[in-house]
Amino acid sequence: MNWLATLLRVYRREFRLVFSDVGVMLFFFFLTIAYPLVYTIIYNPETLTDLPFVVVDHDRSEQSRNLVRMLDATQGMKVYDYAPDLPAARDILNSHDAFAVLEIPSDYGNRLGRGEQGVATFYSDMSLLLRYRTFLTCLTDVQLAAGAQIQQQTLDDLGLIGQSISGAPTGSEAYWLGDPTQGFASFIIPGILVLILQQSMLLGTTMLAAGGSERRRRNGGVDPLAVPAGSLTTVVGKVLCYVTLYLPVCVFVLFIVPRIFSLPHIGELTDYMLFILPLLIASGCLGITLSVFVKERESSMLVLVFTSVVFLFLSGLTWPRYAMNGFWQLVGDAIPATWGVEGFIRLNSNGALLSANSQPYIMLWVLAGIYMFTAVLTTRYLYPTCRHS
Amino acid sequence: MSQSTLSRSLRYGWRSLFSRRIYVVCIIVVPLLFTLFFINMMDEGLPLKVPTAVVDLDQSELSRTVTRNLAAGELTDVSMKLDSYHEAVEAVRSGKIFGFFYIPDDFQQKAFSGQQPTISYYCNLTYFVPGSLAFKGFKTTAVTTTGGLVQTTLVSTGMEDGAVAALIQPVSIVQQQIGNPWTNYNYYLTNSFVPGVIALMVCLVTAYSICEEMKRGTSPEWLRRSGNSMLVAVVGKLMPQAVIEIIVGVGCQAIMYGFFHFPMNCPAWHMILAMVLMVFACQGFALTVCCAVPNLRLAVSICSLVSILAFSIAAFSFPVQQMYGAVGIFSYILPVRYYFLIYVDQALNGIDLYYSRFFYVALLIFPLVGLIGLPRLKKHCKNPVYVP
Repeated sequence: MNWLATLLRVYRREFRLVFSDVGVMLFFFFLTIAYPLVYTIIYNPETLTDLPFVVVDHDRSEQSRNLVRMLDATQGMKVYDYAPDLPAARDILNSHDAFAVLEIPSDYGNRLGRGEQGVATFYSDMSLLLRYRTFLTCLTDVQLAAGAQIQQQTLDDLGLIGQSISGAPTGSEAYWLGDPTQGFASFIIPGILVLILQQSMLLGTTMLAAGGSERRRRNGGVDPLAVPAGSLTTVVGKVLCYVTLYLPVCVFVLFIVPRIFSLPHIGELTDYMLFILPLLIASGCLGITLSVFVKERESSMLVLVFTSVVFLFLSGLTWPRYAMNGFWQLVGDAIPATWGVEGFIRLNSNGALLSANSQPYIMLWVLAGIYMFTAVLTTRYLYPTCRHS
Repeated sequence: MSQSTLSRSLRYGWRSLFSRRIYVVCIIVVPLLFTLFFINMMDEGLPLKVPTAVVDLDQSELSRTVTRNLAAGELTDVSMKLDSYHEAVEAVRSGKIFGFFYIPDDFQQKAFSGQQPTISYYCNLTYFVPGSLAFKGFKTTAVTTTGGLVQTTLVSTGMEDGAVAALIQPVSIVQQQIGNPWTNYNYYLTNSFVPGVIALMVCLVTAYSICEEMKRGTSPEWLRRSGNSMLVAVVGKLMPQAVIEIIVGVGCQAIMYGFFHFPMNCPAWHMILAMVLMVFACQGFALTVCCAVPNLRLAVSICSLVSILAFSIAAFSFPVQQMYGAVGIFSYILPVRYYFLIYVDQALNGIDLYYSRFFYVALLIFPLVGLIGLPRLKKHCKNPVYVP
């Protein structure tokens, strides 16, 4: 009973500390509301359309014009201009007006007419792989479509087997799971959302803790605003406060943001909240643990901001985890967001149930336990004044 | 007189830089570790052997051939053989595979009887890179399967081999990937994210070290020591940082282009110059922020906010031209954007320096903008007020 009363005092004091600190509120509320919106707006165009390319047509035949017309008609590509030769095309590329060159050799039409293979060359800029991917998709589609046209005609001309081989003997259909529009925002934002939750929590909690150690420095080792309580009580009370504050934030970030922008959102709210709970606990405790390295309120940013990039990559969103070596997989395992991103994407985009996500879910609880332990240790040895109640 | 104040200011700046462990960590350890992290993590260049599955309901000679073709490709690794669509979707949902290839039960029968059977393949695009690679692998297999069937049919009707080959794929578009023919992700990502992190740390440390003087109330003293000249004070503080940051930045370039042989198709000094100018530009950017908002927490917050958004807005993955105009325009105020454009032109594409001239000039403008705000900064330095 007594313990509960102390816990409640810690809990209430932490609320007061949060709401009297503009810096922390900025992280807890402004960051979590503004960043999801800003990030999604940046990537909201989703797919690349009408990427300009230059044509060098040495053939100028009906077939070569047809090929260019088909490419121009794709969603992803657009003819920027015709150039007389490669150096001229190169000059357009160098001036950053177009990003690829299609060169059609002078025998293209003739070869097709003779029943041989017509070969064209496509030079693509590689500065952005998303652009290259768009070119590649369009080229493959057109190559197959133009090929099928010609195939059909040749077969008809030959009078061979006619019907039985119309087009292709087997059809194939491709389906995209999780991100059916192949949009960039639909792919990256669900993961970023989870990362934002963790990072804002880390920034806020370390700044709070650093505020405490600044007060202690000023008052001869005593923090006048700290509630005298055991270290476990202190940690539990603080983390409960953060979790309480973050639950409504999570509803906005995880549930509402994907709906605002029509990103994939086929999960259940209850699943989201159940899943994210251990992530919040783990991040809060990790923040208290990391406060060892943060002596001043503002240095929390120096220490933590760049880790967002590291954690983004460790989560496997851009470079898949199966291709990392064991060491980096292990480091990633220790970050709550790694499991958070993985699990949330499956819940939100792939329509998995929580039961299919047992591995990330269990790992999150394990991390919550481990970081709770380290947070208690940190509190006990770093701030011995809190110990006696 | 003024020369000796400048040298005194520089000496003081140098000493105070090394008196704080956090500065040393931020501008030396973080960028170097980050570079090695990236290079080591993406060692393979391309995450080949994507874990995938085959759902073969036909279990015929033909379907087994297709499965074998799939397994022989370098892109996909057929790590599971499943018995139903349902099982495969569950495997995708639990993250075991990134896609699967589905062969219906009447595949061989229909193929041989001249009706058109349909193969389908499913790729999980919630992970873009493995999803796309699985797609490429599946598509290749689907197309070659079709090609193989056509070939068999045509040859059996008495057509000669050469003509058949041309008939199967009448149009071929050969792709030449300029500068990165291996589609190496390490070259692509490390070249943009490492300067991004350097820019981030330079901005943060600059803003922190200037505004910290005001938080601690030592700014009047700082100004007095510099002969009451804000310019001397700022140069004295920032120049020693810049020297270290440039050495570290060029060191990171040396690791990438020198030790790990990343493509560099220009003389080395083009990239070194870009790094030098980017460091000064980032300092200028942070200085501008400090002059506008002379408050430690706000200035550092703004610098973090902008530098983190820079990874997206500077268009390392999604091109500026395709963003909304009102968003894309912000890429022009980011120093690292110009560094990235110089890298693309020079190191990656190796084109004439002439085409990149404006990017170098743009980097030169940032420090000048920072200098405009100095009188305002001086006013605040004289009367430091700390707002937590």
